[in-house]
Amino acid sequence: MTAADPDRSMPRADDPIAEVRNLTVAFEMDRGQSRVVDDLSVDIERGEILGVVGESGSGKSMFASSLMDAVVEPGVASGDVTYHPPSGESVDVLELSKGELQELRWEEVAMVFQGAMSSFNPVRTIRDHFVETLSAHDYNVSDGLERARELISDLYMDPERVLSSYPHELSGGMSQRVLIALSLILDPELLVMDEPTAALDLLMQRSIISLLDGIQEKHDLSIVFITHDLPLVAGLADRIAVMYAFEMVEMGPTDELLTDAAHPYTRALLNSTPNLRAPIDRMRSIDGESPDPVNIPSGCSYHPRCPMADEQCREVDPEPYRVDGDHAANCHYWEEAAEAVPAVTEEFDDAGEMGAAATERTPERRSGEPVLSMDDVEVYFEQESSAFSLFSDPDDVKAVDGIDLDVYDEDVVVLVGESGCGKTTLGKTAIGLQRPTGGVVEYRGQDVWQARDLVGDIDIPYEEIRQSLQIIHQDPGSALNTHRRVRAVLETPLKRWYPELDGNDRRERILGMLEYVGMTPPEDYIDRYPFQLSGGEMQRIALIRALLINPELILADEAVSALDVSLRVEMMDLLLELQDTFDTSYLFISHNLANARYITEKADGRIGVMYLGELVEIGSPERIINDPKHPYTQALRWATPELDPDDDPGERPMRKIDIPDAANPPSGCRYHTRCPEAREACRHQRPELVEAEGEEPGYQQAACFREYEDHEYWDSEPITDEDDADSVDSGTGPGTAEADD
Amino acid sequence: MDWRVERLTQGLLTVFLVITLSFVIIRFMPGNPMDYILAQMSGDATGATSGEGGASGSDMEQQYELVQAYLSMNPSDPLHVAYFDYMSNTLRGDLGQSIYYSRPVSDILGRAMPWTLFVLSWGLAIGFVLGIITGSLIAYWEGSKLDVGLTAYSVIMGSIPYYVLALLLIVYMAYRWQIFPTNGRVPEGVTAGLNWPFIKGIIYHASLPIASTVVFSGIASLSMRGNAIRVLGEDYLRVARLRGLSDGVIATQYVARNAILPLYTGLMISIGSLFGGSVILETIFRYRGMGYYLVQAANARDYPLMMGGFMLLTICVVIALFITDLTYGLIDPRAGDENREAF
Repeated sequence: MTAADPDRSMPRADDPIAEVRNLTVAFEMDRGQSRVVDDLSVDIERGEILGVVGESGSGKSMFASSLMDAVVEPGVASGDVTYHPPSGESVDVLELSKGELQELRWEEVAMVFQGAMSSFNPVRTIRDHFVETLSAHDYNVSDGLERARELISDLYMDPERVLSSYPHELSGGMSQRVLIALSLILDPELLVMDEPTAALDLLMQRSIISLLDGIQEKHDLSIVFITHDLPLVAGLADRIAVMYAFEMVEMGPTDELLTDAAHPYTRALLNSTPNLRAPIDRMRSIDGESPDPVNIPSGCSYHPRCPMADEQCREVDPEPYRVDGDHAANCHYWEEAAEAVPAVTEEFDDAGEMGAAATERTPERRSGEPVLSMDDVEVYFEQESSAFSLFSDPDDVKAVDGIDLDVYDEDVVVLVGESGCGKTTLGKTAIGLQRPTGGVVEYRGQDVWQARDLVGDIDIPYEEIRQSLQIIHQDPGSALNTHRRVRAVLETPLKRWYPELDGNDRRERILGMLEYVGMTPPEDYIDRYPFQLSGGEMQRIALIRALLINPELILADEAVSALDVSLRVEMMDLLLELQDTFDTSYLFISHNLANARYITEKADGRIGVMYLGELVEIGSPERIINDPKHPYTQALRWATPELDPDDDPGERPMRKIDIPDAANPPSGCRYHTRCPEAREACRHQRPELVEAEGEEPGYQQAACFREYEDHEYWDSEPITDEDDADSVDSGTGPGTAEADD
Repeated sequence: MDWRVERLTQGLLTVFLVITLSFVIIRFMPGNPMDYILAQMSGDATGATSGEGGASGSDMEQQYELVQAYLSMNPSDPLHVAYFDYMSNTLRGDLGQSIYYSRPVSDILGRAMPWTLFVLSWGLAIGFVLGIITGSLIAYWEGSKLDVGLTAYSVIMGSIPYYVLALLLIVYMAYRWQIFPTNGRVPEGVTAGLNWPFIKGIIYHASLPIASTVVFSGIASLSMRGNAIRVLGEDYLRVARLRGLSDGVIATQYVARNAILPLYTGLMISIGSLFGGSVILETIFRYRGMGYYLVQAANARDYPLMMGGFMLLTICVVIALFITDLTYGLIDPRAGDENREAF
């Protein structure tokens, strides 16, 4: 593809649509110049999908903005960004006048942002957004709207309904797709996507990724796809560029980069990314932290964290070294990187190895009395109603609808599912923060709410139950009081539950815990305020706060989602290590199957899959990952990207992208509206959880008629999109409330 | 049920409760209006017929009838009858008779009401337009000298009580420089009607009261500044700029519309405090509106007029908030029709 240029090691494109040379984006700050993009050069080939991967704070968003000279003030972009239109003069984007820029933006180079929900003016309809864009660029409005309709229906939505909606009436996934349609309305040549799916559920992410392929071909686009999630782009991008510390450290064709990465950072990043295949005991996170943009290390910016760094690395900033073809890495010792940082996936060929560790332990371990037992738990939320609307139908949202779940001593259960499936509600119900509207929650045989209300014989007082069931929230930043020091935050639970301790004892205990979770020196940390801690450190404080009072069960609600990829594995390891020490059980909530797999496999736990308030499948990780029985689990499995260039998303194993309205769930099996295997019987009957076929009891249970040996299902007609008006993605009328929600 | 009906019912319930409360006050409070009038009557009666030992039965009857005329309530009726009479009279618009003016209360307040509304609505409208304009200017030039200057002006305006400004205005504009009249609401010697001299006179007389309420622009511009700066930082504004929308569209449809939304609620809520403020304002300018009569009534212990005035003020605030509820959906689709089908 590229003619090797002996003078320059950077891979050049034959027919670049954009060339970036020595791009620097700088912010003047009180403590010096902050360079968030540092002397970056890259070519973007016409018609390719370039994946740009980097952790948060690596400068990737600034790079994206520079491509259309949209760096937010007071940042200043310097260097050259040359855009080559299909015909006509090439332009230097950073030198354009205001009028020229207006023509370039959106007509030639368009951008899709991360927060689609906040990218629309809340008081204008979607149609207005399209119309104003068209008229601002003097395009024909009626032709343009025709194109908009086509784009919207290509993205599996009903054009008329979407166009007449206000932004708040769209779900997150829909507004992201509408934003993609809006970015393509003027038929641009280059589309820059800045974390376009980061705020979305796994299934929606994957669905959008698989739609992108088609869109790119149909509209002949070049795409720059920026993400922190390496597996996500693995199946999509033609080439991947890895950013670290404000510059590109490695660049190459996707398959080469994934299988044969030459930069130690890329290799370490690959090793730290939880996925479904790599052996868990070999995954590890990268030590240290990304550098501060004001104070970039001299020489190679990765040297403080690199295992093979030497004098040269500390002094000489490496130029791109040509690995081969158009694969280049900014590392002096790229040839030795493979040895220094061996890939965890390498020795992993026989599938047996993976299951081996987990099968040592058996379900018998989960015998005896459960710590927590939920029996037919229901949580219904009444929709907004007041004294005056007594007569209207109570429109309950069935957040949790009839779930049985037992958690045992030192057990780990991970609940996975799309947002709105009720996993957080179930979690809160489990630890007694949410009163169930039906069913029983028992802590060691004591009904939690009876203890609370002082009803019946109480064996365990509510105080003790409250102390035993704790929670860690998703966002540590908002879970800690910003005005209190670490010491004050951690002393509060001790004072409440251990009044016999005096100030010194408390301090000693807190210091001990800080040291235990690796925050050393603890004397330094104890007097800090939360804003003086990093995200990972804040999460540790939240964890200590929960552990200090010796709980039996901790609910960890997306406890690692807010952390950087490279820190997640470390945090999960810490959680499990503490489990051994403190004999705690965990109930995790996650939307990410790869994280769920990592933690359950390591702790011999179970994964429970939830869909619209129901538990559709539960079982050991290797069963859920390798042989999912429920079609919804299969869809989740499909949606979890692999670190594999050949990982083709393939056919979407769902008939519909969007999740139905939880206030009005489908009858029968709730998944039947999206299930590719659905038959007539699924419309009317609700399947119960049954032991999966061919398994020892206790390993895997699924709620699907296909697990029933003898059921009406096998004789009934399949539901297809043609005869099921309710399940067609596009073209739904306002009357069919359950479709296209 | 339709939420509009719901809000209307809530409003009506509030009005009903306020009327009931005034009934309770008149009837049961120690030293209540009824006792007061009775005492005055009997005082008068004993004064007139000195020598006789207290009021006779027929005198009592007469006094009760007088009380009935003033307060729409006969003290000799049993409670439920009195309550029913009072409610039905009040709802028919009969608020009793003013003692001081010897005219029906509804008549006095009905004539005063439009003047108060006139001054208040203009004061409010001008104040908010001014506030929004200065607020947007400050937000756009955030950090500049203009920002510092206008913000200082807004803070000063916002912290001056309106009656202090009113006093300053009347001292300088009316007495010292004699640009504006010191009191009254209509020009003298001009035939009332739709003719220019008369209308001009009305505006002329209302200028100073309206000018004093403009202090509300200070608060409005400060919150407008905050809102606009917040909107300027929103993602959708950045996307709009990248989409190449013209500055005009961005300023009006993006920044202004979204920044004004929170102000609108504030505007309607401040109507309540403004009505209260009219009491002082109209006294200073001797502007015969609702507030003026309220003060007069309080000074003269004219209970019927006072009760009527308070009741009317409450109703005005309830109506203003009801209108806010109805119209908010028009400017913010998110607060709009709850029945609209969302995805």
